[in-house]
Parts: sequence; structure tokens; C-alpha cells
Amino acid sequence: MSEQNKQQSTLLAWFDKRYPLISTWNKHVGEYYAPKNFNFWYFFGALALLVFVNQIVSGIWLTMSYKPSAAEAFNSIEYIMRDVQWGWLIRYMHSTGASAFFLVVYLHMMRGLLYGSYKEPRELVWLLGMMLFLVLMAEAFMGYLLPWGQMSYWGAQVIISLFGAIPVIGPDLALWVRGDFVISDVTLNRFFALHVIALPLVLVILIFMHIVALHQVGSNNPDGVEIKKYKNNKGLPIDGIAFHPYYSVKDTMGAVFFMTLFALVIFYAPEGGGYFIEAPNFEPANPLKTPDHIAPVWYFTPFYAILRAIPDKFLGVVAMGGAIAVLFAMPWLDRCKVKSIRYRGISFKILLTILVVSFVVLGWLGTQPATPELTKLAQIFTALYFMFFLVLPFTSKNEHTKPVPERVT
Amino acid sequence: MKQFLLILSFCMLSLSASVQASGGYGITLEPAQNNLRDQDSLKRGAILFSNYCMACHSLKYMRYNRIARNLGWDEDAIVAEMAYGQSTVYEDVTTRILPGVAMDVFGTEPPDLSLMSRLKGTDYIYSFLRGYEQNEKGEWENHVLKGTAMPNVLEGIQRHSSEEEYAEAARDITNFLDYVGEPSKIDRLDLGWKVVAFLLVLLLLAYLLKREYWKDIEH
Repeated sequence: MSEQNKQQSTLLAWFDKRYPLISTWNKHVGEYYAPKNFNFWYFFGALALLVFVNQIVSGIWLTMSYKPSAAEAFNSIEYIMRDVQWGWLIRYMHSTGASAFFLVVYLHMMRGLLYGSYKEPRELVWLLGMMLFLVLMAEAFMGYLLPWGQMSYWGAQVIISLFGAIPVIGPDLALWVRGDFVISDVTLNRFFALHVIALPLVLVILIFMHIVALHQVGSNNPDGVEIKKYKNNKGLPIDGIAFHPYYSVKDTMGAVFFMTLFALVIFYAPEGGGYFIEAPNFEPANPLKTPDHIAPVWYFTPFYAILRAIPDKFLGVVAMGGAIAVLFAMPWLDRCKVKSIRYRGISFKILLTILVVSFVVLGWLGTQPATPELTKLAQIFTALYFMFFLVLPFTSKNEHTKPVPERVT
Repeated sequence: MKQFLLILSFCMLSLSASVQASGGYGITLEPAQNNLRDQDSLKRGAILFSNYCMACHSLKYMRYNRIARNLGWDEDAIVAEMAYGQSTVYEDVTTRILPGVAMDVFGTEPPDLSLMSRLKGTDYIYSFLRGYEQNEKGEWENHVLKGTAMPNVLEGIQRHSSEEEYAEAARDITNFLDYVGEPSKIDRLDLGWKVVAFLLVLLLLAYLLKREYWKDIEH
């Protein structure tokens, strides 16, 4: 052993004696055995983490130049876009990152639905993931107010007024959330505090727990079989491979591919055709002038369409909340023992198709003005969306499944 | 799973189609066909803006020296040609009208135009500038924005110059406002392909590394 190596190993030993450095690395990276048959859908967890880091880093730099006040917020964004060195790039990384975050998270959730990743023993992984999704929505919503454009302002106005629809406590609750009778400087300041400190902190903790819980039970795979069932003479799963180096190099490849697409959007379509940065947001917030058409950013539109589909405001709020809440119950609504869609019956395949189509159509409807015809359509697809969760417990109980292989294919 | 991808891509396609269909203002806009890389057009646009727009409108997020730097314009020259020596090169492009006067004369406050191209789009600006027609009573009406308080500022060019010169003037102003909306746009477009090219090389290396490691895994 050379002198340098000896020095290094003593330093490592010094640390390891005082901190579980090697064992933690091994448990979560070096000797974390993941199924070897991950496919395309398994990139999105790592990508969500990548986008999260992008949001944190770009967010820190934006905070250095952004001013959270109703008088200065809009100006400071233009200052970032024009006068701060590379400010435009940092800002576009952050605004595009928000959309990318939801895109990869939706696909990550879709993977869970396809391969039954929410089922025993991974219920808690799913629940923590759903909590992450909920906090992410709050984080995105509050971040969207900060540029203080027309759509920022009126979007927040519409969504916070929803609290007012709750019987008895509603109006006071909405007032408490805003801190004022309308969206104002006070609201902007508290949203800023929550957006840059409180919610990111919650996200970090939840992400940590999501990963720890996953590593406790082990990863699912496209076949939905447990690799821990078959182990070699060293006690390692035969169909498992160490996360590092195998999945670290594979995820690196996925990350670079994702970054290529991400760069194309940042440099050539940062407004995302008006879906990532909405045009009315280039006009400063004006409490006296409502935009012709208020639409949330695309990632909220499916739930916004459900809200508008219900004629009663309070019931609409309940339906919108229910559309998210019902996803929490997936581990118990789905009673089929078979995990992967590869070996599940036709009833689940049809139901899941209906769910995905409803979600996408509702997403489109949420971007459109609510004409009577489109509202009718939104009602139909809202019903179809909820039908998935209502019918699933019955069809999944006695589903006509295919034989599941013993080991991964 | 393949069916899902198929259905999803179909839905996304119809989504994007409907987006394009619904993007309008209920009127057909003329394509501006402006070119941000045409520095002469941008300079002409800046001077036209100074002569025809700055009497009422400002560009409060735009400083003269930034325009000078981006358009390859001498700092003394831009102050002389755009501001008639009334501003320093370090100042924003302010309007020449006194506060409150526009409200008295037009009944409205003329908006700042720094971000107009991003708010409304270049085709809108181009069509709006060219959207004036005289009715039977001899009053100017704008078919793009009905009832606008803005007078037909390009009337002189519209009446006395050729159709091409009239179109060019509107296009140059639009081009200039497109630039003002996002001064770093050209930087962005020029940097983008380099970043993507770098990432593609990195992607190839990452793929080769992955393939090398995964050789010993049986599928």
C-alpha cells in the first residue's frame, strides 16, 4: 500500500469509527440490490431527484436577486432576466424545471400504477410518495405567485378563494391563508417564506423517508415478483444487481438524455408554448383588471377541470381534493394479488386506460374556457376518473390473471 | 404498455393541435416575419420607435447602453439618434410625455412596451400597427384592437410611402420590440445548440460506460 493510500484509509477509518459512513454507503448504494430487469419507466425516480436538485440550486441563485414585495417582485424578475449575469438561464432552468418536475413525477406515479409498486410490502413507499406529490403541488402553487404577473395574481386569487367555499369556517380560513382581504404584499411574503424554506425542507425530509422506506422493502420491477425469494450462497438475490455501479451508470445515461431534452426546452422553447410560462404573466399583477381567461399551469389543469365540472363550488372543492386523496388509498383499493400489468386481467388494463385517458383529457379541458359543451365533457371524464377507483375494488378481487413467473424475465 | 404509450401520444398530439387552434385573438393576424439577427432592421426599428412611439410609450426595463451594446451601436450615437441627447446612455428608455397628460388627452395611460412582444406576440404588434382603416366619417379605426385610444401613428408612412416601405416600418418596429422583450434571446439561441451538442457527446460516453458495465449482466 502506498503512503497516500494508507493515509486515506486511516482518514476513512477515523471517520467510520465516528460515523456509519461505509455501512450507510453499502446499505443504500454499494450493496443495495435492485432487480436487474428495470425498464424505461424506472428512470423517473432518479430524474425526479435530479430535477429537485436543479430547483434547489437554481432557486438559491434566484433568491439572491429576487425581491419578495408587491412593489418590486415583477421588476426584480426583469432585473434577473436582463441585468443579472446568466440570470435568464437560471430563471428558465427554474421555470422549466417546475414543469419537468411534474412531468417526471406523473410518469413516476404511472410506473407505480403499471407495475403495482404500491402493493404490499410497499404501501408506505407509495404513501410517502403521495405526500411528496401533495407538498410538491403546494410548492409549485406558491412559487407561481412570486413573479407577480397577472396570471400569478389571479391564479392565486381563484385557488385561495376556494378555501372560502368550506362551510362555516371558510371565509375566515381564506382570510387567514391570504393574511389580507385580497392577495397582497402580505400574501406574497408568506408564500415566499413557505416556497423557499418551509416546503423545500418538508420535501427533503419526505424524499429521505421515501428512499429509506424503499430500501427497507426493496425495489419492485416490471414483472412484479420479489427478487428476495431466490438468493445465492452469499445470501444475495440472484436476480438483483448492486445499485452502484450498475444503476448508477444507467441512471447517469438517463439523466444526460433527460438533460438534453431539458436544454432544448430551456434554449428553444422556454415558455413551453405558453404552458410553462403563461403570456399574461408578462404583465404585472393588477388587482383591478381580471385577465380574460384564467388557467392554471398545465400540471394543475386535470384537477382544475374536475373543480369546474361540479356546479356547486364547495362540492367542486371536495371533488378536486378527493381526486388526489383517492390515490392515497390505491394500496387498499386494488385487491389483486398480482402486481404487474403484464400478468393482470383485462379488466385492470381497461380501467387503467380509462384513468389515463380521463386524466389527459381533463388536463386539456382545464386549459380551455368553460363553455357548456366542454363543461359537459369535463363532467363525463370526471365521472370516468372516479369510476376507476370505485370499480377497481370489485373487479380486482376476482381478477382473471395470467400465471406470474417465479423469477424476473 | 405499448398501447398506453400509443394512447398517450395520441392524446398529446390532439392536445397540441387544439393549442394551436385556440391561440388567437378571434382575428387573423398577419405574420410579422421579423428577423432578430438583422441589426440594420433593429436599428431602424429603434429610431422609428423613438420618432413614432416614444412620445407616449416607455421601455422602462431597457437601458440605452444595453441596446447600444447588443446592436453594435456607438454609445454617443444612440443617445443622439434615439434620445436626441435628452438622456444619458445609462438611463432607461423613458417616454417624452409628461405624467398625466396622456390621461387627459387619450383617457388612458399608454402602457410600457418592454414586454409587449412577450405578452401579445410579434404578429399581434405587426398587425396592430398596420390595423388602421379610415371609416366613412374619416375616423381611424383599428380592426385588431377595436376602440383603441392610440392614434394611427404610422399614418404618414401609410399615406405617402410605398406598400413595401409601410410594411418594412411596421416590421422594423416589431423587430425592435421583439428584441426589447428578451434582449438575451439571440444569446440563448446561439448557446443552445452548443449545450445540446455537448450533452449528446456526453450521452454517447454515458451509454458506452453503461454498456461496458452491463456486459456481465445476463438478461
